[in-house]
Amino acid sequence: MPNKNGSVYGLTILSPIIDDEKAVPSHDLQIRNYLAKLSTREDSPFALAPGTHLARLVVMDDVIYVGMPACEEHLKSKYLVFESNCDGDLDAYLHGLADKTPDRLDAIWKHCVGYPGAANRLAFIDYMKACQLDTTFYFAAVNDKSVPETLRALQTQMAVADFIATHQGSDMATLQHEFIQFVAHLKSLPLPKAGSMGPHRDIKTGGRNE
Amino acid sequence: MSNINGKVYAMNAITPMKPWKTWILRGIFFLLGHIKPLQKDLIDLSFIEFARWVVLPRKGFPFLGNNQVKEDLKYDYLLFFSNFNGTWNQYIDAFSAVLSKGLNLVWRWSEKFPGSVPVTPFKEYIARVQFDTDYYYTAYPHATANDIKSAHIVQSSLDHLGLLAEQCSPQQFADAYLRFVLQVQAHLGETGEAPVAG
Repeated sequence: MPNKNGSVYGLTILSPIIDDEKAVPSHDLQIRNYLAKLSTREDSPFALAPGTHLARLVVMDDVIYVGMPACEEHLKSKYLVFESNCDGDLDAYLHGLADKTPDRLDAIWKHCVGYPGAANRLAFIDYMKACQLDTTFYFAAVNDKSVPETLRALQTQMAVADFIATHQGSDMATLQHEFIQFVAHLKSLPLPKAGSMGPHRDIKTGGRNE
Repeated sequence: MSNINGKVYAMNAITPMKPWKTWILRGIFFLLGHIKPLQKDLIDLSFIEFARWVVLPRKGFPFLGNNQVKEDLKYDYLLFFSNFNGTWNQYIDAFSAVLSKGLNLVWRWSEKFPGSVPVTPFKEYIARVQFDTDYYYTAYPHATANDIKSAHIVQSSLDHLGLLAEQCSPQQFADAYLRFVLQVQAHLGETGEAPVAG
């Protein structure tokens, strides 16, 4: 199925935005204003809900005229594009979003035609699926790892680099003992929060653009 | 507007196609999806995390009633969404240099596509058909596609050594640890904030 690549799902949704000349500011501008202030870090709705690798929201104002001899044409509606690269099953993903961040979903999609609200889970999922486009070709560089697995691996990568650096020249028995402790400690660590930059580390050499 | 989050750039592009041409493009994508060696150049461009193409038929725009006016279009549209590491110029330059045949095969069906080589008219075309991202989220803004691939190699090697460590002598462990370091040493690059791109 083109919407999936391995275990990753490529969700593309186009929601028509309400065209109401009495609305001030217009609904598309209200969406843009809200999105401009919405966090993209640990408290992003996509970090709070499980399973989003990367996601974007875009107000598509119109199709683009590429010049003569092409015909010029225009859309009758503006559309909110939601593009997400997420783990696994679509229904479970949409349920997760509606469960964890219903208020923020409503704040965005209330400006779209026919949006039923996230409180009504079944209607919400039906609405999203009614606005879904099938992907024609989907590429994922890593297509067999979930978001928690990737966050864990990035945490491990950093810790292993430190372990190796600090254990150069250790005797064999100490190395083995401390390695076993290190692995146990790593397993006990909480997962880094999705959307975070991870723990701050001083850059050891060089610096910005050096 | 936020096309960039950490080390990832979100690109959106939309191009018009005559409806009869979209069937050729669908056929090309079908072959690309089913014959994995054809994806080699795309995989070799290791700074792409996710990318997708969506053929949107002129009558396929979502219509929900409720006073929404139905679209009346002459063209089908090709939507392209990419998540890549690096700058826009680096991305387009690399696309043009490495994937020119593949790009031409995908976009030659779009109106006024100039070809991916030479790069100047190609960049002008991409700039014209691109539109900006309003909100961009990534679960791991400090990591590139290569960081992620490397991190999974380190995790897998560590899990393997972790199982062995409990069962072997210090000498056996030291040998295994040395092999582990050789395996992962090229995959321990520093993650963190992206440099400021000029």
